[in-house]
Amino acid sequence: MKIENEEDLDNFVICRRCHTLHKVLPLHDGFKACCSECGALLYRFDSRLVEHGLAWSMTALLFFFVANFFPIVQIEVLGNTQFVTIPMMLEALFEQEFYIVGFVCLFIVFLFPLGTFVIYGVLFLLLFFQKGERSIGKLLVLLSHLKPWNMVDIFLVSILVSLVKLIGYAQIHIGTSFWALVLFVLVDIYINKTLHLSEIWILQKVRFKKEIE
Amino acid sequence: MIEIEPHHLIRCPHCDAVNINKTKKNRCRRCHSDIYPYSNFNTEKSWAFLVTAMIAYIPANLYPILITNKFGVIEENTIMGGVISLWEHGSYPIALIIFFASMVIPIMKFLILIYLMISVKYPIKKETKTNRYKLYFFTELIGPWSMIDVFVVVLLMALIHLSSIDIFAGTAATAFAISVVFTLFAAHAFDEQLIAGKNPKGEI
Ligand SMILES: [Zn+2]
Ligand SMILES: [Zn+2]
Repeated sequence: MKIENEEDLDNFVICRRCHTLHKVLPLHDGFKACCSECGALLYRFDSRLVEHGLAWSMTALLFFFVANFFPIVQIEVLGNTQFVTIPMMLEALFEQEFYIVGFVCLFIVFLFPLGTFVIYGVLFLLLFFQKGERSIGKLLVLLSHLKPWNMVDIFLVSILVSLVKLIGYAQIHIGTSFWALVLFVLVDIYINKTLHLSEIWILQKVRFKKEIE
Repeated sequence: MIEIEPHHLIRCPHCDAVNINKTKKNRCRRCHSDIYPYSNFNTEKSWAFLVTAMIAYIPANLYPILITNKFGVIEENTIMGGVISLWEHGSYPIALIIFFASMVIPIMKFLILIYLMISVKYPIKKETKTNRYKLYFFTELIGPWSMIDVFVVVLLMALIHLSSIDIFAGTAATAFAISVVFTLFAAHAFDEQLIAGKNPKGEI
């Protein structure tokens, strides 16, 4: 196999699931390429990725805000009604002196998802205005370290499980925030789980090359 | 013109860029991350994390994860006890979700990681690298789901905090959270490149 220089390696892609080497082929807008060995998604092509990304990250932040500052559920035990928000849950843990679990949950449920989407927002803004090539690189590396700790989808399933466990004890009414959280998780799956960071790296290269010419 | 062998090409775990494996330390040409920062001792590191995770998993199962105080009657539930009582009450799907998240996934992940770490040192000829890559990818994918039980306890505690019923997290919740986090560390410290059968010094 012969290549001109290291830059030419951009024309190849290694499957993240089975590590097979593939040559990158140009795609039509909106199409995706999958691995011939294992079927995993390799890359996609979206000509308006910056605009879409910007819109989705803003939506995610909005849902995140609603999910955190309005009650997730309202429970009724023996006539006592109580509204519960996500920050209240974290506070209850610290009050009962479960510091380790408290910190794990604070990071996983609150700081990491918030951080992830703030970074996505900044990234797409920088790309939109074609500024800060270096910062984009740094943010992308940071994002790759945050990604494995994203567990909001798991948190949502946990909420459902605990509600079922509570049925015997109390009456439960699902609040506004619950639906906001469901929507947040859907956007998270779309942006954070299906959008590969390599697509943004390629975008960065394309955007800043145009400027030089 | 550079002449390269396809099997000398490696993927950067941070940005997916294809890089040439230049033996010893590699720095990604696109994002400048070290591709295997722990090239000499990562198996040991991974073993240490994994052993910690497995030790923490023992108290996580022996001690109660949930303590409920219902009008002065104290009830303690272990993970398995919770699964059984949910099953008896007829909540079969929830019992299954908890059983998979707290028992099947952690144990499966321990076994797969142990198997991968051993098979990297003593490769079985029949088995293909592709299979091992898929296995590793699978553990990364399912691993975090075992956090469900910790989240559920946290949620229950918070949800009932002010009423006449008190729910507390037992010692097991902390032990379980530690176990899950250390399993994640073990999987991250485990160098994917080792799967390819290249030794840690980068000779091929
Ligand atoms: Zn593949
Ligand atoms: Zn890289």
